[in-house]
Amino acid sequence: MISRRNFFKAGIAVGTALSIPSVLRAQTSPTSGQTVSMATADIGIFDPILSTTEMTYDHALAIHDTLFGIDSKLLPQPQMVSKWGVSDDKKTYTFELRDGLRFHDGSPVTAADCVASIRRWGVADSGGQLIMARTRDISKKDDKTFTIDLKEPLGLLVDILASPSGLFPAIMREKDADRPPTEQVTSNIGSGPFKFNEAFAKPGASFVYERNEQYVPRKEPADGLAGGKSVNIDRAIWQVMTDQQTAISALQAGEIDYCPAPPADLYSVIDSDPKLELQVQNKAGKVYYLRMNFLQPPFNNVKARQAMLHLVDQEAFLSVMAPDSRYAHPVTSIFGNSAPYSNDENTGWFKKGGDPEKARQLFQEAGYAGEKVVILQPTDWQTGSTASQLLGAALRKIGVNVELAPMSFAELATRRANKGATEDGGWNMFISNDSDMSFGDPISVPFLRADGDKAWYGWPKNDEYEALRAKWADVDSFEERKALAHKMQRVWWDFVGGLMLGQIVSPIARRKTLTGLIELPVGYIPMWKMQKASA
Amino acid sequence: MAVYILRRLVSAIAVMAMVGIFVFLLLRLAPGDPAAMIAGRSATEEMLAGIREQLGLNEPLPVQFIRWLRDMLGGDFGTSIFAGRPVLELISQRLEPSLSLSILTMILSVTVGVSFGILAAWRTGGFLDRLLAAFSALGYSIPVFVIGYFLIYFFAIRTRWLPVQGYVPIDGGLGSWFAHLVLPTVALGLGHIAFIARVTRASMLEVLSEDYMRTAAAKGASSYAMLFHHALKNAGVPILTVIGISFAYLIGGVVLTETVFNIPGIGRLVVDAINNRDYPIIQGVVILTSGLYVLINLAVDLAYTLIDPRVRY
Repeated sequence: MISRRNFFKAGIAVGTALSIPSVLRAQTSPTSGQTVSMATADIGIFDPILSTTEMTYDHALAIHDTLFGIDSKLLPQPQMVSKWGVSDDKKTYTFELRDGLRFHDGSPVTAADCVASIRRWGVADSGGQLIMARTRDISKKDDKTFTIDLKEPLGLLVDILASPSGLFPAIMREKDADRPPTEQVTSNIGSGPFKFNEAFAKPGASFVYERNEQYVPRKEPADGLAGGKSVNIDRAIWQVMTDQQTAISALQAGEIDYCPAPPADLYSVIDSDPKLELQVQNKAGKVYYLRMNFLQPPFNNVKARQAMLHLVDQEAFLSVMAPDSRYAHPVTSIFGNSAPYSNDENTGWFKKGGDPEKARQLFQEAGYAGEKVVILQPTDWQTGSTASQLLGAALRKIGVNVELAPMSFAELATRRANKGATEDGGWNMFISNDSDMSFGDPISVPFLRADGDKAWYGWPKNDEYEALRAKWADVDSFEERKALAHKMQRVWWDFVGGLMLGQIVSPIARRKTLTGLIELPVGYIPMWKMQKASA
Repeated sequence: MAVYILRRLVSAIAVMAMVGIFVFLLLRLAPGDPAAMIAGRSATEEMLAGIREQLGLNEPLPVQFIRWLRDMLGGDFGTSIFAGRPVLELISQRLEPSLSLSILTMILSVTVGVSFGILAAWRTGGFLDRLLAAFSALGYSIPVFVIGYFLIYFFAIRTRWLPVQGYVPIDGGLGSWFAHLVLPTVALGLGHIAFIARVTRASMLEVLSEDYMRTAAAKGASSYAMLFHHALKNAGVPILTVIGISFAYLIGGVVLTETVFNIPGIGRLVVDAINNRDYPIIQGVVILTSGLYVLINLAVDLAYTLIDPRVRY
């Protein structure tokens, strides 16, 4: 027989237990209407002149503004600039700033800030280095006007200033931009559409961006990274999430609104959730490519490099790198798939790939005698690691003595600088990637250089190609540049400076209440135009 | 006692110094380049060289070591290569989540684990003992991330009773703080409950077979008095040791739980720092954690005197 005291005790316990979920549910309600929560990686470096990482670029895109921006067709459009012109001899460019530009500390953006910022960026960025090499002087004319005086014409100047493929050409305050480009600017004061909330910044955990009430957007509609950057939300919270499974769970539960890189094996989970949607925001995606070491055998021989073009079956690589075929495409042009210079020149002979017999024959013609071929395998980058394993397996099948060297990316980044033989810690191959759009800019993208010691890791060298590449900056018209692109590609695929493994356009995942996302040809996250409806 | 404590504290400093030197050398001699991590995948050699120069990574190892030692002696743990903020500030930001999770996990593990151990010993060989043995085996063998995802699915996604992830500081509201820690505490605690329950059971069984326990039973002591007044006190030393080890392990060993539940704690800080080759953070965390281990061990040793009057220092 239950006593009255025990009955009451049990009643209180049951009541408490039943009320707990509703109390706790209040803690898990979706984020408020004007605040957008986004899963991100850690920022790490805040200064866009110091790092090429996407998080640094995204941060810069939020808080800084640029003189020019590319539109969705990859064409440069004025952004902070209201008017610009070039002299008849094409040597003097004059730029006038828009009215109402202010930094987040309230100070006006002046021509002096622009001059200092261009100079700092020009030291570090490869496109900027080209501008600086041709420049006689950059000077302020008045508070709103500055000029770039060139020693010789540079038809590509405005394209370079607008290009998102190199370092982000942020316009900073003069006192920040006066620092050396290797010294990090941590003030996080820009003139962009969002302000960085320093007080709420928790590196490794979360970052908060507030709407910049002072920002004056352009009148034109938003288009790519150009046009009016009008902001519709009050606050964006970037939550650093290292586990993508957790990020998707948080998205499903309404704790976040946006996940930039959902894992491919969870696409079906997202597709089946009526409140979530996959969206290809970065229309161009990324191109995965293979670098070969030109300084060491067997790839110091063009036949061995050509053999790789026959061996690599992009369909096979894409099937392991991007299991959902909706988001994977082969790419055979050195200018990628989305750039207007993309073409089919000199691709017919290898286009299908996946011809191991031809590859084996070419390796033999190259004099390959069973020497070790070392592939650097970045184990902390899943896609690169998987592709490295497939590459190793394909090479072994044709009798190549492959050694996979598993290591973290930090180790890979050190080892790839070693120009020595494999027995001295050198290497033969590694896989990397870059945004597809960046391949349309042979001045800035490291992959497309072939000037030997000055080139990117692998140090490809071909004088004929480099002579053509040198003309790129001087060509005025789009049609001429397209013709030049054909010539460059013809030479490239003859000497095989490097080769592509495929293009992946990974979608983002979002709650359907989050709309207005800008679709871009780059993998960055612009937050202007975003809107959030109540859940 | 005071001399003993002082001696242990001095030895703690020596341990921290040795750990610090070891970690400094290990990091510098291991392959990897912080400059490469800063600059990104598409960085050029010129960019990397400039960053290395700026960070002082090109200086000879002895010069770097002496500078680091000088700063450490002055209480300066350095500045994060990535975040550009003082290491101590970053650690202090991450300490609260880790300590909160560790303390809650210990409270859960000790109360439940010791209770389960006593119950199992009391009903040894019976159904309850077998049931708890099965629970212990499962709790100890299922990885924390499996338990974590399982809990998230049922208690966060399906029922929406609790949040999936994140951490809210105590000053952000006690309810919210607690709600965010319930699932990680349970996920992390299961293994510790199992471990403590097993050790408690074994220790209790050993004591329960002693002659003085039979005497107590013969004198008519109740089961409660026998278990809690006589047996538990005498079985306490190994249980306390296990609790101390578990707590020390928790402070630095909660990486998986912090990752699954997205808790910005010390574990994630140090893993991110290792991936990024952020030397000052790794060194700072390892040195402080080693100090904490020594202090926890000291606290456990001192606690022995409370439960066993034969222990004297």
